[in-house]
Amino acid sequence: MDRTEILIQINLIFKDTLDNEELVIMESTTANDIEEWDSLTHIQLIVAIEKTFKIRFTSKEIQEWKNVSEMIDCIKSK
Amino acid sequence: MILKKGDNFKFGFKVTQEIHTNFIGLFNDNNPLHTDHQFALNKGFNGRVMHGNILNGFISFFIGECLPTKDVIIHSQEIFFKNPVYLNDELSFNATVIETYESVNTIVFNFTFKNDKEKIVAKGKIQIGELI
Repeated sequence: MDRTEILIQINLIFKDTLDNEELVIMESTTANDIEEWDSLTHIQLIVAIEKTFKIRFTSKEIQEWKNVSEMIDCIKSK
Repeated sequence: MILKKGDNFKFGFKVTQEIHTNFIGLFNDNNPLHTDHQFALNKGFNGRVMHGNILNGFISFFIGECLPTKDVIIHSQEIFFKNPVYLNDELSFNATVIETYESVNTIVFNFTFKNDKEKIVAKGKIQIGELI
């Protein structure tokens, strides 16, 4: 799966998890850009991403992400 | 993580008159399906149907009190009511860990409630987080 396809999937996951159909996630997006992205929805997002891509992250990996681009790098590395 | 995939828990719960009365007292759901025997019979049931959300109370007890740690929080829960539960029904609750997400300290259970005829009366999923 290339970056664009991953980003499309991530957009679907964010829209569903955050109940916001108008949300547009870009590689540069950070948690600070999205009001609904709080600590609890963060957990739901990670669970949904791990489930969708059939991968598992470590807590260290997640803590190192600065934006969605780094999240995609991590997904691609699995 | 406190639990691993495949861990299984079994408990018995009884829907007593006290639980039924207290549930109505707390939440004021006096719908005749739950309170009027004849009404329930006329609708094709064998008696007053107990509130489905009493089962959520049992789930709350399971998560809050029966796991190896108290450091837990329910993230989400989904429950399907498959068959009626009647007063004084004795239910067997069975929950199995089906997924774990170590990165966010999250555990997902599948659960069922069965009545004494081994019929599933409710089933669903519970997602919990381990508080650290």
